[in-house]
Amino acid sequence: MSLDYVKFSSGFEKFMPKEYRDMVEHGPFGKKVSVSQMGSFKEVLEEHPMCAGCAMTLFIRLAMIAFPNPEDTITVGTAGCGRLAISQAAIPFVYGNYGDQNGVASGLSRGLRLRFGDKPKDVVVMAGDGGTADIGFQQVLHSWFRKERFTTIMLDNEVYGNTGGQESGMTNRGAVLKMAPLGKKFEKMDMLQMAKVAGCAYVATVVPNNPRRVESVIKKAVLIAREVGSTYIQAYTSCNIEYAIPTDKVMEDAKNVENDRYQFSEYITDEAKQFLTERYGYKEFLPKPAAPAPGLPKA
Amino acid sequence: MYLVADISVEICAAKSCKLCTQYCPEANTILYSDEMGKDKGFKYGSAYVAVDRCKGCAQCVWVCDNMAKNNAIKMIMIDQLPVAALTDNITYGEKSTTATLVSPVVG
Repeated sequence: MSLDYVKFSSGFEKFMPKEYRDMVEHGPFGKKVSVSQMGSFKEVLEEHPMCAGCAMTLFIRLAMIAFPNPEDTITVGTAGCGRLAISQAAIPFVYGNYGDQNGVASGLSRGLRLRFGDKPKDVVVMAGDGGTADIGFQQVLHSWFRKERFTTIMLDNEVYGNTGGQESGMTNRGAVLKMAPLGKKFEKMDMLQMAKVAGCAYVATVVPNNPRRVESVIKKAVLIAREVGSTYIQAYTSCNIEYAIPTDKVMEDAKNVENDRYQFSEYITDEAKQFLTERYGYKEFLPKPAAPAPGLPKA
Repeated sequence: MYLVADISVEICAAKSCKLCTQYCPEANTILYSDEMGKDKGFKYGSAYVAVDRCKGCAQCVWVCDNMAKNNAIKMIMIDQLPVAALTDNITYGEKSTTATLVSPVVG
């Protein structure tokens, strides 16, 4: 949990794989990197077994770049596709049993605060729609009611993609899937509203076809979770296998879904706005300068 | 054999939007090099593909054609590429990378 944990023991550099050496020397640790610099520095995420063209992988890649301090971050996940990539990064990853990722993260976040005091250590939960809205629903909601200070990110592919295509609570009404041949009979769960009711300080929806927005949203959520309270991000990360989306059309699908049911939305409490402005110098929440007085009507 | 993405330096270095580097689902697969374009007299650097990491999804092709309107990326059989970048031959610098291009097919 410091910059030292990624460095080599002296004399061992030459035995390390190239990827590891690149990451220590040209990775994002200890400096600020952004989406616009992608392709010019070594990322913390390495090769992984996720399917070709998976939008979830793109989102995870962007998220890893967006973490404000990757060297002081721990990710928590659960069963599902996402952990196949999240665990292949140079960021410590804790694998919860199915559904208890927010319980694990609660303990972890409290323990880190006891151990490190005021030095910020970020805990970020990244789990699928099944892990968050179905099987882990109880623990997710309770962690929000308790105002546990960590970020929950839902990787919403609207299906149980890892087990053959069963419907989840987040599947859209009417969607026909391999293991739901008659189509889903119920509405997609409104997790955003539930997050607001449960008291999250920051709630946002994103689609990965806007990398800069993904970066800004994740940065804000992680920073707010350091002191103010729970934060929740819901990201549409399509499953191109279960929804039969050709891999080169994944971004087109993301765009269509964004227009259909995943418009960008951001909810932030006044306390969180004040925290970001005062502590991290955010300018977007400052009161807008008063509009100039309208000129005299022309004669 | 299988398909990998191939970026035309001539087209890419004229615009150099870097969009493909932000949309590839694989990390450190589409990289950016200043030298690749500027050394050949183009205005900007160019993106290039580390073909050993490319899974051939062609998302970059859609992004380059439809978002950037640049049409610089094509999918090509890996044995049809005379030279390409491989992770082992890529060096990271301060703001850019350099790659020594070699034949991607062993043997």
